[in-house]
Amino acid sequence: MQAPRNQGPSPIGIVYNTSMARPDAALALAAMYPMEGNRESHMGSVCVVGGGFDTAVFCDIIAKTYTFGATNGNQALATGLAIENGATDTPMVKAAVAKNYPRTLKRPQDTSAPVEVLRNGVIFNATSLVILSGPATYLAKALDPLGAKDLYKDRVKRLVIVDAGTPYKDAAALRRIVAEWPTPIFFCPKEVGDALRFPGADLDKDFAWSTSTGSPVVDAYKAYKPMPYDAPLYDLAATHYAVHPDSGFFELSSAGTLNIADDGAMKFAPGGGGNVKSIGIVPAKKAELLAALVTAATEKPVVPAPRAFGRGASGRGAFGFSGRGGGRGVLPALPPNVGK
Amino acid sequence: MFVTKKAINRRAILKGLGAALSLPLLDSMIPAFAEASNAPVRLAWFYLPNGIDMRNWTPPAEGALPAELPNILAPFSAIRNDVTVISNLTANWGRPLQVGAGDHGRALAAYMTGVEVYRTAGADLKLTTSADQIAARANGHLTTLPSLEIGLEEARQTGNCDNGYSCAYTYNVSWKTETQPLPPISDPKNLFERLFGSDIAESPAAHQRRLAMRESILDQVMGDTHKLESTLGPSDRRKLDEYLTSVREIEVQVEKASKSTTVIDPGMDKPFGVPSAYADYFRLMTDMLVVAFKADITRISTFMIGREGSTRAYPEIGVADGHHPLTHHMGNMDMLEKVREINVHHAAAMAAFVQKLKDTKEGDSNLLDNSLIVYGSGLSDGNVHTHDQLPTLLCGRGQGYINPGRHIIYQRETPVANLFATMLDRVGVRPEHVGDSTGELAGLTLQS
Repeated sequence: MQAPRNQGPSPIGIVYNTSMARPDAALALAAMYPMEGNRESHMGSVCVVGGGFDTAVFCDIIAKTYTFGATNGNQALATGLAIENGATDTPMVKAAVAKNYPRTLKRPQDTSAPVEVLRNGVIFNATSLVILSGPATYLAKALDPLGAKDLYKDRVKRLVIVDAGTPYKDAAALRRIVAEWPTPIFFCPKEVGDALRFPGADLDKDFAWSTSTGSPVVDAYKAYKPMPYDAPLYDLAATHYAVHPDSGFFELSSAGTLNIADDGAMKFAPGGGGNVKSIGIVPAKKAELLAALVTAATEKPVVPAPRAFGRGASGRGAFGFSGRGGGRGVLPALPPNVGK
Repeated sequence: MFVTKKAINRRAILKGLGAALSLPLLDSMIPAFAEASNAPVRLAWFYLPNGIDMRNWTPPAEGALPAELPNILAPFSAIRNDVTVISNLTANWGRPLQVGAGDHGRALAAYMTGVEVYRTAGADLKLTTSADQIAARANGHLTTLPSLEIGLEEARQTGNCDNGYSCAYTYNVSWKTETQPLPPISDPKNLFERLFGSDIAESPAAHQRRLAMRESILDQVMGDTHKLESTLGPSDRRKLDEYLTSVREIEVQVEKASKSTTVIDPGMDKPFGVPSAYADYFRLMTDMLVVAFKADITRISTFMIGREGSTRAYPEIGVADGHHPLTHHMGNMDMLEKVREINVHHAAAMAAFVQKLKDTKEGDSNLLDNSLIVYGSGLSDGNVHTHDQLPTLLCGRGQGYINPGRHIIYQRETPVANLFATMLDRVGVRPEHVGDSTGELAGLTLQS
């Protein structure tokens, strides 16, 4: 692989393979854009697998809401979508899509092809990480194109597989990923997400900045099930680990084996010659971690900014380790088109 | 159909001193009562430089092509049921990615190879075998020439042509190996010689003598021609006569062009023997390609309408500015209008070529029906250098393989290499990889 011309440090790219069927997925996506604004990471690509067109539109709406429609030259990748028979959209995404949020996807062809958007999301960045939270069908297929494995080996720092308790379809694809993925693999077990719950009663307060414009994340959260409820933060916790593996909030198991049952259920076992490490929460850091996650997921949108502007005076990002209110590079006012 | 007792070999040629002229498909070559035409499927790629004014290219809706096509495609209106407009294909490795400027170098080099273009202005080129050469490697032994590389600008192979990318990347669309480009033939005389000049040993002195005497190639093969004619029925005699006439007409054009001293543009290298007007040049070269296909001299071709980044001017249509500078119009409507005029000019010439293929009978069909020809570019918007949503027109049916007359829109990021893999599949070539292809294009063929 040819070395990037600009050798300066650049944010790590996130490639997010998601079914986008739970509020924690929406909160995770909502966190990724401010993280880009703060130069903690960069959006590589988002690919919906297991949902329908409205699910891709929901992701697109979040992107538009958080980036104000800005694109990075010709490197903006449209949301990916695995167009499959029988794929359905949840009431959660439909609630937001039904509203008049700006969007770019008008028809299924406006989405990106799934294998390509997963691969190209890696190509677009000097370094990347991959978060797998949904069927692995297309990520497994993304191993096949010419030079793909070498590409991932060279550029992907880590793959984080999320367990939210609902087995993914296509156990064979997931087994192939575990067996053939050429970079370190980390498993974020269900217990991690279950231990970190978003305070649903504070939802409107946390998203107060969106009162006048509306928030597709809030709409989705409220539509998922009767309020108030505290959503477990499966994808958001995995995202935090993926971007900040050295935060001190998490601890790792020794290498082990991730067993995939025929129905897709995952179970980690230490040893066995496996190459997967399981993520756990450092007990003493749990409250601080939760605060950081909530801060990240509810942060006011940040206009993508050049490096010099990105961080606040304290140098902290959206995942500010000091908890809520940590210094962040947030612009003082939103452009006038937000939410229209 | 005229039926003979004994079929003529499909690869029979007329031989003479220093000349070898392949034959078109004659009835006599088809075994009696054969159920289907044995004509081969031809593949060709016509590369457009500098992108397209996409506002005037893309049909507004998916489905059957309307009678009134967008302005740039309007020249294809009469043959719209023989072409397929394909939208949303991407040449990902043309993009800046982590490397930066050099979009023209990458656009062409990555278009038919589908791999990362190693940035160098030196001799350490690195690419991979292009789609046409994958086909040529598999099927090239079936014809006199495995493939034919044609271009309308003389190819440079060395030097820095685009922000650190070698000229070899901006001038060559065909790559035989990862380090060996196949320069296109831009001189009509050289192309004529390549097609008919000879695969028979001829001393340099004899060659020069023949050229000096301006002897027609038809004179060279006259003996064989008379022998063959005496074995043919009336229908085949007429076909042979038409074919030889077309060869002679090309020969006359080439000769005429070789005497031309008109200068195209002081800023551009113009080889001697090249027609000064683009349309004449394009027609002369494509006329030879028609003959090459008809006589089965080759079944695979690439055709560079211009090098990537071409600065050619088109004074014959009132565009005195160079093509590439115009495409960086930055929204200037006057410049954009000139880009559109160039795009239409190219399309008109291409449409005439496609029409000629359609008018060229072959067995019970025609050359166009037996071909798959891409007319496209590795850039869409030349102003900002976009490498997705590429302009792509597929001409022909590949012998009943494609259902044309439609506008098909694929999901974004679909590799253009998927189209090329689909084309290769039609001629029985199924390599493990065609660049960054992720499979064939669903819904394009009648089978999918």
